[in-house]
Amino acid sequence: MSEAVVNKAQASSGSCSHCGAVLSGEHFCGTCNRIQPVASQTDFFAFIGLPRRLRLDELELEKTFYALSRQFHPDYFMSASEAERQASMERSSMLNDAYRTLRDRVARAQYLLSLEGYKEAEKKAPPDLLEEVFELNMQIEELKAARKMAGEDEIADVVAALETALAGLRTKLAEIDERLFAQFDQWDSVLENDSAATEKKIVLDRMSELLSHRAYIRNLVRDITEVL
Amino acid sequence: MPVIELSMSGLPQSGRVVGIDLGTTNSLVAFMGDDGPEAIRDESGNALVPSIVYYDDNEDRLLVGEEARDRLITEPRKAIYSVKRFMGKGSADIQEDLSLVPFQIAPDSEQVIGFQMGDRVFTPPEISAFILRDLRRRASKFFGEEVTQAVITVPAYFNDAQRQATKDAGHLAGLEVLRIVNEPTAASLAYGIDNRDEAIVAVYDLGGGTFDISILKLKDGIFEVLATNGDTHLGGDDIDNRLISLVLGELEQQGYSGGASDPAMFQGIRKSVIKTKHDLSECDTTQISIDGVEYERELARAEFESLIADLVERTLGPCKQALKDADLDPAQIDEVVMVGGSTRIPFVRKRVKELFKREPHIELNPDEVVALGAAIQADVLAGGRRDLLLLDVTPLSLGIETMGGVVAKIINRNSTIPASASEMFTTWVDNQTGIDVHVLQGEREMVADCRSLAKFTLKGIPPQPAGLPRIEVKFLIDANGILTVSARDHRTGQEHSIEVKPSYGLTDEQIEKMLLDSFEFAEEDLRKRQLVEARNEAETVMRAAEKALAEHATRLISEQERDGISRALDELRQAFGGEDYVLVREKIKALDDASHHLAEIIMDGAVLAALKDRKASEVAEG
Repeated sequence: MSEAVVNKAQASSGSCSHCGAVLSGEHFCGTCNRIQPVASQTDFFAFIGLPRRLRLDELELEKTFYALSRQFHPDYFMSASEAERQASMERSSMLNDAYRTLRDRVARAQYLLSLEGYKEAEKKAPPDLLEEVFELNMQIEELKAARKMAGEDEIADVVAALETALAGLRTKLAEIDERLFAQFDQWDSVLENDSAATEKKIVLDRMSELLSHRAYIRNLVRDITEVL
Repeated sequence: MPVIELSMSGLPQSGRVVGIDLGTTNSLVAFMGDDGPEAIRDESGNALVPSIVYYDDNEDRLLVGEEARDRLITEPRKAIYSVKRFMGKGSADIQEDLSLVPFQIAPDSEQVIGFQMGDRVFTPPEISAFILRDLRRRASKFFGEEVTQAVITVPAYFNDAQRQATKDAGHLAGLEVLRIVNEPTAASLAYGIDNRDEAIVAVYDLGGGTFDISILKLKDGIFEVLATNGDTHLGGDDIDNRLISLVLGELEQQGYSGGASDPAMFQGIRKSVIKTKHDLSECDTTQISIDGVEYERELARAEFESLIADLVERTLGPCKQALKDADLDPAQIDEVVMVGGSTRIPFVRKRVKELFKREPHIELNPDEVVALGAAIQADVLAGGRRDLLLLDVTPLSLGIETMGGVVAKIINRNSTIPASASEMFTTWVDNQTGIDVHVLQGEREMVADCRSLAKFTLKGIPPQPAGLPRIEVKFLIDANGILTVSARDHRTGQEHSIEVKPSYGLTDEQIEKMLLDSFEFAEEDLRKRQLVEARNEAETVMRAAEKALAEHATRLISEQERDGISRALDELRQAFGGEDYVLVREKIKALDDASHHLAEIIMDGAVLAALKDRKASEVAEG
């Protein structure tokens, strides 16, 4: 990404805290070149200078991250004014937070949902897994109890059953991820075509549901790994 | 907090920023020279200052480094070593350590340890400050300018309290600490490894008391830490303790008892086994013998390795965890760098090589490489260069206490710093005006298993129905890895005052008081040094005057002048016996003035005599 793009695509507006020049959310004042504080409503996409697309080039993102780090980092503002030091700290911490969120596909999707007004969805079991989940939770409890009193054979049986289930859950997780990432393309094209709000909502709802299933299965995987 | 200027040397203030490695065993200071980073050495070429502080309350005498080490055996109760292990800790944390060191802990050490030394109590930041002050003096002397700014390194796995304690120590030593840098990261700067476009580097740092592993990505001059892990309680000290236990056990079998409770004997054994450990990095077998005790034993490297195998094994868990966190296989690591004195041990190198399947780098002196890296970072901060940038991470997750004693993570470990998180708080009952917030650090789920960082109360909330107030609290981990907290009332936009009480560590008031204390102490030190110097000079002057009076006075000057000199001499003698260096200086000058004329005459005579001699010898040669 070119620096020109980076410097223009900000969400905040106001005037330079140093020279008073009118700004529309640039990282640095175009007149006196001083670093500016972050406006309160800036989101990560806007901060980095990206549209809210979900497919993004991770290498390009890293490049932008490094380039902006070199502009914002507190190391380079040691002898600047208190206001500039504060602004450097704000911008570099926001940059780090943004990079951490956007470079991870799942975190990126979750973040987009929160920007679009979705609350973090409750962890829900996928309907086709409901029965199996019930069974698995029984087995987890069984294993815990067996560890306390039962014989080796009994434990081995439950362990084997859980291990099989675990492999199945991991496959399921990969499947969900695939479906989730397929929605990324949907979202990007909806965004590109500036489609109706109802169409946007359909994609977002789907992603929200997939994320809630994903979170549920991950918890289950964690619980099983723990008892094993 | 302003740094109180201890301008004792009268030197001009320097704009230089030095890099300091404040180690468990040794400390050193380095700077950026024209040809790269350099350690500052003493007259005998030593860069390392042993991290040992000796204090005698009767004489009010303070010694640091070699001189303090010399007294470990003769006066073991008066010297503190390995103080780094106690930084940012409370008494409940250190029971295990205490069984291995002869230190007396003062009462009231729950939140900050106090070492009882005679009638005075010193906290770990104060002890560290004495070491830092020594390094600062060394640097100031070297440059002929007062050094006041520094970068200080800490183990990457240090928590907030330990970092803050280190910063406090710098402050107490009259240093403005521009940055706390992680040791493995600093080492990677010194190694550079910038001869290729991109590399993944693992830094394995096993020092005197702590272990760190950091995995970095180096690309275009950016040193990005991907993951870090470690154990702030694992290092050379633990290896020494294994050997000490071995010797103590065998002595007991021989019928000696009480070796552990006799601090002088304990230090004798400690000194001896440290030498054994060093020897075994060079030879296959060596002798252990203890001064003043009938004990001798051969120790082979193989036996030594089996004694410490589990300690070395304990470093591999964090290595694997860091790899996992960075989402890398050992095979994806391009370079492995060894840092810290304990990596001289062949067995350590062997195990590291096996894990990463790669020959580790040992080119740079493992004792000095961290300070050299700190000097490079100091140069960056001083504005010397912009081609390098360190992007470090926080080693531990930050969380807040929620219902049922569960910790909700708000900043995950290995997040690049500065990092921030905002949380919205509200009230539980109508008209509640304060909300308690408890901040913790650690990876576990329950409050009881994490490290308490601070507790604070959001105060002055206007009385409203429960759940209505919206207070946004912003947690920011700065580039030092240290937490700051601010809060804002979303309805009124008003900033809230937050009084953060550190759970472990010194409050600002305590530091202010210590600053004054150490200021007085510095004055006291200075006064003593001045007195010693004045006395030395007085001795020289008195001896010369006595000699002149005895040999020449009757021949060369009047009786009146002779009496004047004798009187001045007596007065100086009297001042010499006192404690007032200003008076000694005055009397030196008075004696100088009184004997000035006599000195001139003698000088003239000496010149004449010399000329006469030369003529004679020239004649003889001719």
